[in-house]
Amino acid sequence: MKKYTVIYRSVLMENLQYTANVAMGFVSYFVFIFIFIQLWNYIYDDPRQLIAGYTKEQMIWYVMITETLWFGTRAAAVSSQAATDIRGGNIAYQINKPYHYALYLLSRYTGEWSVRLPMYALLSAVIGFALVGGLPGFGLLTLLAVIPSVVMGITIHAVFKLSISFFSFWIEDSNPFQWLYDKLLLVVGTLFPIEIFPEALQPLFRLTPIYTVCYGPAKLIIDFSVEKWVEILIAQLLYLAAGCALMFFIYGKGVKRLYVNGG
Amino acid sequence: MEAIRVEGLSKTFQVKRKEKGMRGSLKAILHPQVEKIRAVDNVTFSVREGEILAFIGPNGAGKSTTIKMMTGILYPDGGNVEVLGIDPVKRRRRLAYEIGTVFGQKEQLWTHLTPYDNLKFFGAIYDIPDRESEKRIREIAELFELGAFINTPVRSLSLGQRIRCEIAASLIHRPRVLFLDEPTIGLDPVVKENIRTLIKRMNTELNTTIFLTSHDTGDIEKLCRRIIIINSGKVVLDDSMEHLKYNVSDTPLENIIMEIYKSQGKGEAV
Repeated sequence: MKKYTVIYRSVLMENLQYTANVAMGFVSYFVFIFIFIQLWNYIYDDPRQLIAGYTKEQMIWYVMITETLWFGTRAAAVSSQAATDIRGGNIAYQINKPYHYALYLLSRYTGEWSVRLPMYALLSAVIGFALVGGLPGFGLLTLLAVIPSVVMGITIHAVFKLSISFFSFWIEDSNPFQWLYDKLLLVVGTLFPIEIFPEALQPLFRLTPIYTVCYGPAKLIIDFSVEKWVEILIAQLLYLAAGCALMFFIYGKGVKRLYVNGG
Repeated sequence: MEAIRVEGLSKTFQVKRKEKGMRGSLKAILHPQVEKIRAVDNVTFSVREGEILAFIGPNGAGKSTTIKMMTGILYPDGGNVEVLGIDPVKRRRRLAYEIGTVFGQKEQLWTHLTPYDNLKFFGAIYDIPDRESEKRIREIAELFELGAFINTPVRSLSLGQRIRCEIAASLIHRPRVLFLDEPTIGLDPVVKENIRTLIKRMNTELNTTIFLTSHDTGDIEKLCRRIIIINSGKVVLDDSMEHLKYNVSDTPLENIIMEIYKSQGKGEAV
């Protein structure tokens, strides 16, 4: 475990040098959020109106939280690093070290989002309080209770992204599959809460990673309840176990097919 | 004692083939053609502990593929490999503690970190306690003369300095066998000579077994006591340097090797 902590710390040191680069991404985040704030302001006629059980503030905060998770956790470590290592041959250096390559990438990823996510969360909080106002019922205790769910959601996301990434052992480019997964998550998981979709589709969405990756943590932040917290944490644990099994299985099969050319 | 034992090692790659032009691209979708290339073909040899061996051959002869099978990166299709009595396929991570690798055209260092931070990092990866790691970094820094740039980010170093750090990083866990895949590629003569001196010192002072591939006959002549030539995936010569030179004493080593390459036909392996 110590070596993965060291990898995490090294990535953290590396990424702390590039906080200005992270800040450059704030512009697109701000434009995105601003458009959604205007959109929901227009849709909600009456401030007391509920849509799919959400007040206007809750709806806007939901989008802001899921988009913070989306922008704050985007990193090459889980999307393209494996493909780059395999194509470029650098994987030779990675898999003959005394660590598991998948866990190495996971540690790298955690180090990357540990810098990005707090920066986006801070920006989100400033925009939210300035343009929408505070969330009723949200306090320090809620924040502390929700942190494990947020971390677990991000890790589940990483595990699924890595599983897709390891398709690179068979095919030259896993990007089309990454694109499909990302778009599914972006459109269905981050822009609207699950309750806004037709009732027939909701059970289906609850079975996808969307429920544990973005909906769950965001729902807990905007409308916390202990029952929901337990339900989401159990779902996340199950998803994490299944996702890890899938990731290790794909990696184990794939690494035997590794083809490293060019010396 | 044998440090490396390779018996009947083979590896075949499947390579996609496509006819030229758009028509060829469309045809490749409907009827993909795959060609099997035998990169390593029934290779057998052994290396004694403390030996410096040159494992050479033309581009595409199968040198790197053989190294990658010996280090557990690639899975062989046939044959057996044992490095220090460990099967790289079954116990790759266990073997990682005993071997070091330097691939001259690849990077293992974290370029945004300094050589010191990199060495600390690799020390932790190999489970070396902090105090011991510090001691080894001091020793390695002295041996490789890293002092002047040990706190400069790797991305700001010259190629020669970087390669020195690459080799240094491969030694932090004191490997018993070091695989050097073209370690002097792209370096100027002075830096090459420095690297050769370091390799020689590692061998004599630490009794490290060195498995070296290089296209530079200077590396081979100055470092190795034994040479294996591989071509088209097959071992075509396994002899001592002394014997090889004794037989054709007037001919430079480069010409001898060239003749062997030509007589065997240039390889087409991966």
